[in-house]
Amino acid sequence: MKPRLDDEDPDRLYTITGGRSRVGGGSLDLVTLIVSESEPTAGMQSEHARILRTCRRPTAVVELSADLGLPVSVVRILLCDLLDAGVVTARHPRPTHSPDALPSPELLKRVLLGLRKL
Amino acid sequence: MPAHNPSSDPLAGRSAWPAVVAAAIAPAVASGLVWWAALTVPPTARVAVAVSGGLVVAALVAAIAVAGWQRAAAHRHRARADALAAESADLADRLIPGLVRRLRAGSAPDTALAEVDRPTNPDHERVLRTLAEEVGRGERSRAAAMAACGNAAGRMQALATSMLADLREMEDRHGEDVLGDLLKLDHSTAQAGRLADSIAVLTGSRSGRRWTKPIVMESVLRGAIGRISAYQRVRTHSTSTAAIVGYAAEGVMHALAELIDNACGFSPPSEQVHVYVEEVQAGVVVTVEDGGLVMSDLALRRAELIVSGESLDLTGLSGTRLGLAVVGRLARKHGLTISFRPSSRGGTGVVVMIPRTLVTEPRAGGGRRRSAAPPAAPPALPEPTPVAQPEPEALPEEVLLPRRRRGDTLGSMFPPPRRAVEFSGPRTDAGSRFSAFRNAGRPTRDARPEGHPPEQHGPDAHPAEPEPQPEPRPAAEPGETHHRPS
Repeated sequence: MKPRLDDEDPDRLYTITGGRSRVGGGSLDLVTLIVSESEPTAGMQSEHARILRTCRRPTAVVELSADLGLPVSVVRILLCDLLDAGVVTARHPRPTHSPDALPSPELLKRVLLGLRKL
Repeated sequence: MPAHNPSSDPLAGRSAWPAVVAAAIAPAVASGLVWWAALTVPPTARVAVAVSGGLVVAALVAAIAVAGWQRAAAHRHRARADALAAESADLADRLIPGLVRRLRAGSAPDTALAEVDRPTNPDHERVLRTLAEEVGRGERSRAAAMAACGNAAGRMQALATSMLADLREMEDRHGEDVLGDLLKLDHSTAQAGRLADSIAVLTGSRSGRRWTKPIVMESVLRGAIGRISAYQRVRTHSTSTAAIVGYAAEGVMHALAELIDNACGFSPPSEQVHVYVEEVQAGVVVTVEDGGLVMSDLALRRAELIVSGESLDLTGLSGTRLGLAVVGRLARKHGLTISFRPSSRGGTGVVVMIPRTLVTEPRAGGGRRRSAAPPAAPPALPEPTPVAQPEPEALPEEVLLPRRRRGDTLGSMFPPPRRAVEFSGPRTDAGSRFSAFRNAGRPTRDARPEGHPPEQHGPDAHPAEPEPQPEPRPAAEPGETHHRPS
């Protein structure tokens, strides 16, 4: 759905990221939990400050993205800044035991078909 | 003959009496002399003397008559020359300036000619007519060119705005692989939009888009910086939480963008441009400092003259430097004060004073972030900003008395009910909007005092059907009830 004109802000994404479109590390995925380690300071970019306030409770990257209304990649860039500054920490989710533990897609498809037939 | 001289001498024209007396006396004296000579000479020569004397007197009289006639003619010519000179002066000093002023104000050549006095001289009239037609043609072509430019700029603005919205949507949708390219396109489009805005401002048509909410200073700065090519060289230093009222935000952003672009353009690419924001009693001061060339006193004065917006004339516009003229127009429109001074960083500093009337508090909750805020933020979590406190309770707010913030219009007091309608109810179709027009013609159900905005009792008067009201209705309804009293 197209955002309403009223909801737009004049700042463009490249001004928020300072022109960067990707980050080197790439260690953050969608469900990485972010926790803020300090309070926002005056003069901080408003997105950074907002992330710090939101992440007083551990918050996933994708949640932050929805909260800020920014694409995940942009949020990732902002988070990398904060990680570099040491004001947030990232907690990576525990990986699943192994890919084999999950039911195979074929099985899931068959279950879905069965459910549809009901 | 002495009698000839006064008439041929142009300087003696004023004193006609000596000439007339001389013209009267000279034939009398001459005829007396001839008479006396004829009597004194011997009778044999008397006839010859009388005849020659008569001829001499006749010649004298003829000469005096010719001289008199010449003199009268000279008088006439001089008078005519004087009149012509006066008419020319009148033409140059009064008629032509008046005519040109009327033509510049937009009168048609014939109208303008009819409004100024007709010169008595037909040649002058021809001059005036030719002038009127030529100036009128020039004015018409200028107005046509301005209108065409303004129109084209308006379309480009609309295109740029919609492209920016589309790009923003794509940036949301696509991943990291394309984001860089999209951002590049976004940046180019924003610059193109600024150029279109500049042309629109210079041609006097409406500028850019209107923001319907106050824009916080940080966004204003970033909006300005996002429109220039060297945006990565700009560093902002702002702790201000003030916002610029929506109707002026675009103009302020545009003016700042032009000034920051100038600062970037006139400083070496290795230098950073610093933008400082400071809230003062009279408003907000934005300082743009670069470390580039120091402007001479003359250049500083000239730049200040241009941005003072005193003259709306485009004649001083140079082809390549539009920026300061645009800033001047915008400053005049919004009451910004702009001054230039040598910067402590070695270059030039520009101080922009945004008056207090354009500064307001940011609206609670912001734009696109508002929709996602309630699910993401648990109630226990402290709100991001103190002003955002009443945000989750948007619905109870509508039964409270409306509160008007300074700088807001009366109409902006009532958005909460309208917003609530749009969020809660299903999407209303176009038919219900037309029914609003139809209802506007009917006598009103409740005795509604004239001049009161109907939204004020919207929620309690019609709790069952909160129908969205289109813009023309508040204006149309009191008028209709006036025509057809119930």
